[in-house]
Amino acid sequence: MNNGMNLLNLSLAQTFDFAAPILFAALGGVMSENAGVVNIALEGIMRFAAFFGVWGAFVSKSPWVGLLWGIGIGIVLGAMHAYITVKWAGDQIVSGVAINVMAMGIITYLLEFVFKTTGYSPPAPYFGSNNMRIHLTFLKKIPVLGAFSNLTILVWLALITTIVVHFVLYYTVLGLRIRSVGENPHAAETLGVNVFKIKWFAVIWGSIFAAIGGMALSLGTLSSFTNSMAMGKGFIGLAAMIFGKWTPFGAFWASLLFASAQVVQLLLQSSASGIAKQIPLGFYLALPYLLTIGALIGVVGRAIPPAADGLPYKKEG
Amino acid sequence: MKNIIKGIMYGHREKYWWLTIVVPLVSILSALVVGAVFIWSTGRSPVTAYKLMFGASGLFPGPYWKTHFAEMLLASSMYISTGLAFAIAAKGGLFSIGAEGQFLVGAIVAAYFGYAKPFANLPTVVHLTVIFVMVIIAGGLWGAIAGWLKVKKGIHEVITTIMLNWIATYLIADWLVTGPMKANVATGVSGTPYITKTAKLPIILSGTRLNISIIIIIVVTYLTWFLLYRTTVGFEIRAMGYTLIYNMEAPKAAGVNADIRVVQTMFISGAVAAIGGSFIILGILFQYPPVFEGGYGFDGIAVALIGQNEPLGVFLAGMLIGGLRTGATAVQLAHIPKTFPSIIEGLIVAFIALQELVRYLIVKLVESGKKKPADKNNLTKATNGGTANE
Repeated sequence: MNNGMNLLNLSLAQTFDFAAPILFAALGGVMSENAGVVNIALEGIMRFAAFFGVWGAFVSKSPWVGLLWGIGIGIVLGAMHAYITVKWAGDQIVSGVAINVMAMGIITYLLEFVFKTTGYSPPAPYFGSNNMRIHLTFLKKIPVLGAFSNLTILVWLALITTIVVHFVLYYTVLGLRIRSVGENPHAAETLGVNVFKIKWFAVIWGSIFAAIGGMALSLGTLSSFTNSMAMGKGFIGLAAMIFGKWTPFGAFWASLLFASAQVVQLLLQSSASGIAKQIPLGFYLALPYLLTIGALIGVVGRAIPPAADGLPYKKEG
Repeated sequence: MKNIIKGIMYGHREKYWWLTIVVPLVSILSALVVGAVFIWSTGRSPVTAYKLMFGASGLFPGPYWKTHFAEMLLASSMYISTGLAFAIAAKGGLFSIGAEGQFLVGAIVAAYFGYAKPFANLPTVVHLTVIFVMVIIAGGLWGAIAGWLKVKKGIHEVITTIMLNWIATYLIADWLVTGPMKANVATGVSGTPYITKTAKLPIILSGTRLNISIIIIIVVTYLTWFLLYRTTVGFEIRAMGYTLIYNMEAPKAAGVNADIRVVQTMFISGAVAAIGGSFIILGILFQYPPVFEGGYGFDGIAVALIGQNEPLGVFLAGMLIGGLRTGATAVQLAHIPKTFPSIIEGLIVAFIALQELVRYLIVKLVESGKKKPADKNNLTKATNGGTANE
């Protein structure tokens, strides 16, 4: 009994660990796309930030400095995306692809240049180390809540960010403006909303979230950067955002679903017996993605994006 | 002459129609300049790097040109296939990032029919025909899944193509290649068995690895152009692409069966990407290896964007990227990682995305050269013409 409870808590905690990067990426997408700017550069931004975070932490011996470096590069990339897509009304998909492709080349280059290694960086101080985790020992023995007893600060930040984004989007003037810009920028402009300013704001915050998501990989679960990062997590975040119908809480549940599919896969793989053992590894690995499509067919109807999502906005006259 | 070029540049009848050609060229040059600054800022010599990269790219004559040229065309044929796959879908207003998975499906199907018993001893022509038919069917169906789900269930193609990419990756690498299709352990081969002699693409330039894949892709490029600009189906596909933001109402009102066209477009797109996947098996690797270095699908997106989604443009852009990738190994001599070309590639795409700015600057330059008073209205019109990107 006790053992089963432990397993439940551990699996839940692991789910949160896996979910944090996906959730941050999804929230980045929610922020940006509600203002009408598609950001498929989430993957690339995560890769940049994962590397810069480790670089900063490695140089300064503090993960907090790493976090700042990562956020810094996130702001730079967000500003670049906004400059291209908002200022010059460039194609948002093209700009996103550009950042993703550059992330591949530049980070591999820098990895070799900074650390003189290929494939992975040396370990740096990270948020997952025991003294950096947030210990809530009194929760440890309680089922379900016990999962919250030993999480990293980045996971907590992900949970808090979800609530904050929800609050900002639906209960503040700013949020109303962001959504109005995403739905009908011309009407918003008529009412005196500075469309460009709102878009810049949303894109840069979206990039910051994605950047933190990248560091949830390299400074949260791992303590170093590996060259395969962000391992498609940005794209899964994008999927989580669509799955969650462009809302913060929707993105939250979707991220949890995707992450739990991953945990279930690990559990099944380690404890499978009989017929389950005969099933090849590939099916377990493909399970989360099959589940997603299955869930989309069954559960979610038509996913409807903000009306002006992806359309470049130009002032008339 | 001017009219002929104008005729080729289909659908660009605005005043500054030549910008469609100039913008990618300016983007490529700007990317090379920024790339040089990047190398220089890390304390290495950009001149040496570019000399090595272009020297071994096969794009320009030089030492060992024959080998480099052959390698460049080999690589290009795969980038062109995934580029065309993206471009076809984009013309129909679909954003397919599924070329990566379709490429893998094409590769594994080609590997299977390349070694499987009943086909193994057919004459080359018959054997290759069987393989390509199977590759086209499998890749097309894999692509069509995304189209079908969009039409029937309203699931956005971006999300399904992402999921299908991962499903293909895992099912192939961790099931087929290590399970049912695994080579006999006693032969000491890891991955799938090698394909038979009759399944290998014939070499067309002796002394190199260059095979008929480049000829096949030239034909495919032509067929793509023909489909898009000379057939009713292609016309309807483009009509859907132009009116996507209005929910394809106009083509629907004109009697286009948008549902069927979406599935068809995704089928064709998937089939073209899968053909690229078969090239790597039938012409380069001759088996499906245990660890597959992918990425052709994602590079295809960049290729299509540089080529402005036009078949001829995609072909030229594919050659450029193929050349840069072929020259990539040479830059390591200058102590620069071989992923350097992807920095250039990313920068080109970034400048393509900035084409509004590039157009604005070029038009401004031209107008000031004519010594006309700057006609602001004209200027905005010319720059606006550029935003009609797919």
